Amino acid sequence: MSALLTVEDLRVEFDTYGGVVQAVRGVSFNVEAGRTLAIVGESGCGKSVTVQSMMGLIPMPPGRITSGSAKLDGAEILGRTRIDGTSIRGAQIGMIFQDPMTSLNPTMTIGAQIAETLQVHRGHSRQQALARAVELLAMTRIPEAEKRAAQYPFEFSGGMLQRSMIAMAIACEPAILIADEPSTALDVTIQAQILDLLRDLQRENGMSIILITHDLGVVARMADQVAVMYAGQIVENGAVDEVFYESAHPYTLGLNDAMPTNNPDAEQVLTPIDGSPPDLFDPPKGCAYGARCPHTMRICGPNNPGAFDLSPSHYARCWLHHPDAERRVDGITYREAAS
Amino acid sequence: MGRYALKRLVQGAITVWFIATATFFAMHMVPGDPLASDKAVSEKIRANLEAKYGLDKPLLTQYGIYMGNLARGDFGISFTQENRRVNDIIREHFPVSATLGILAVVFAALGGILWGALTALNRNRMPDIVIMLLVILGISVPSFVFAALGQLTLVNINNLLGFSLLPVAGWGTVAHMLIPSLVLGLGTMAYLTRLMRSSMLEIMNSDFVRTARSKGVPAPRIFTHHQLRNAILPVITVLGPSIAVITTGGFVVEIVFAIPGLGRYFVQAVQQSDYTVIMGTTVFYGAFLVLMVIIVDLVYGLIDPRVRLE
Ligand SMILES: Nc1ncnc2c1ncn2[C@@H]1O[C@H](COP(=O)(O)OP(=O)(O)OP(=O)(O)O)[C@@H](O)[C@H]1O
Ligand code: SF4
Ligand SMILES: [Mg+2]
Repeated sequence: MSALLTVEDLRVEFDTYGGVVQAVRGVSFNVEAGRTLAIVGESGCGKSVTVQSMMGLIPMPPGRITSGSAKLDGAEILGRTRIDGTSIRGAQIGMIFQDPMTSLNPTMTIGAQIAETLQVHRGHSRQQALARAVELLAMTRIPEAEKRAAQYPFEFSGGMLQRSMIAMAIACEPAILIADEPSTALDVTIQAQILDLLRDLQRENGMSIILITHDLGVVARMADQVAVMYAGQIVENGAVDEVFYESAHPYTLGLNDAMPTNNPDAEQVLTPIDGSPPDLFDPPKGCAYGARCPHTMRICGPNNPGAFDLSPSHYARCWLHHPDAERRVDGITYREAAS
Repeated sequence: MGRYALKRLVQGAITVWFIATATFFAMHMVPGDPLASDKAVSEKIRANLEAKYGLDKPLLTQYGIYMGNLARGDFGISFTQENRRVNDIIREHFPVSATLGILAVVFAALGGILWGALTALNRNRMPDIVIMLLVILGISVPSFVFAALGQLTLVNINNLLGFSLLPVAGWGTVAHMLIPSLVLGLGTMAYLTRLMRSSMLEIMNSDFVRTARSKGVPAPRIFTHHQLRNAILPVITVLGPSIAVITTGGFVVEIVFAIPGLGRYFVQAVQQSDYTVIMGTTVFYGAFLVLMVIIVDLVYGLIDPRVRLE
């Protein structure tokens, strides 16, 4: 299957008073049609900036996309809002955000906000668009959709607002839905409902999802592919089983140990990762994880590791996978030397 | 909404009653005497006059009579202008003041919203810097200075042109109204510009504007449908008090531009301790301002659904 979206060597920086922040430093990934890619990593590692640059949402200035490409069905979309006469934002790619409470216009009815997407991209009349908005609300399982469409955001609960956001984002049947921590601001049961809804919608209309989250439980439940980000780079990328059960990067292992599991039989000791991510004003020359990695080697300081393939769908950016690396670390999965 | 309006009207009526009471007692407490003018020559005439105006009765009885008349919409007769009813004075001169005030408020509000939005959209660029400098000037200079300067400038322009571009003083045509109302609204316009700018900056960075962008809504539509409507809410909130500021500022501007508004009468009445005129105009202005604030709040409710349903 060829990729629907291909991102290559994306680099984004921001001018700030403290200097230039290198928020995203050469990120590449693919999204397959109808599949879900999860992007995980700790706060500030560049997850939001990565997806926002595809949506043209990076404020410029202070932001700057210094290199890279993002191709949707082969057409370059980076830094553009339209491809060949069709718009990207809202039409080809829909997006939902972390905080549904503040992400909707407080003085516009829910129905009108959903309808707006259709008026803008499909040239629907207001009446037509509003009628479709009611259908979309019903699709996201909001009861009494007709009545609800005429209400304002403050009359909705957080979960319902996020459903409305989803209705808005999928109104034009986008090929990709980007969900930036869609359930973080909601309580646990509502979280589960929102995730189920996303999965069901995906099954019905075959869209791809890019899901950003901190929560490995959410990843296990939703994702086909996982990209683990650290300090503006993807340090491990693979199918969900590969990344979880054949983790190849010390950071991924650390993340796993720091997360509680749902398995009550597991005798698990939670181990936080010591230290903090590197300064993105002046990122280290070598491996960004070096300062926190328990397995640092001499080569790690001065040299940034490239991507080492473990399988056609799985790679890790870590010197431990170099053929000349002497140590074998427990827990790290190595490519069995077949070649 | 209907219930809300009714509630606000009842509150307003109580406020007006409070204003009337406070004015009445304040009036009778300050030194001075409306009959101390040269008309009250003899003791006898004075006694007659006191009887006519009820000044010989105990204070509380006077208050009762006054309130009773007020409830019927009767402000009484002027002390200093022979047989002139205060109601007639208000009827004749208030429309002039109201026109001046409303024009000034419209100037201030439209200007404030326009300049505020413009500066926010051009943050830290030339238009922003220039306008914000003028705003500081507008806020710190009192309106009588603007009135005098405005008039002087107009005189000079007219002289330079050799014909009268706009009349320098007086009242009657739209041409008479332009400069005085602009001068009167200037300070408030500056204040509203600053308010609108900061409100607009906040809205421009808000999550829901980002959402609108992510939906692919074009920038002009984001401006009209998402930014403007939310950004003017704080401006509307202060519009009520702004009307009060402008109305009181109007007294001075009316005198500078020789406009036959109520303000001039009020100032005169204060100088002559004309009880009925002072109380009549004060209560009337009070009621007018209360009504304006209520109207502004109701308009706010129309724009902000959160208030509408509370
Ligand atoms: N507008 C901006 N101006 C300056 N720096 C920015 C801006 N937006 C993001 N950054 C910087 O870019 C880096 C990555 O931010 P990003 O929002 O992508 O993190 P994230 O992985 O989404 O974190 P979180 O999980 O907290 O959402 C951060 O260091 C942040 O300070
Ligand atoms: S490259 Fe070196 S420092 Fe970086 S994660 Fe691998 S072992 Fe640790
Ligand atoms: Mg984020």
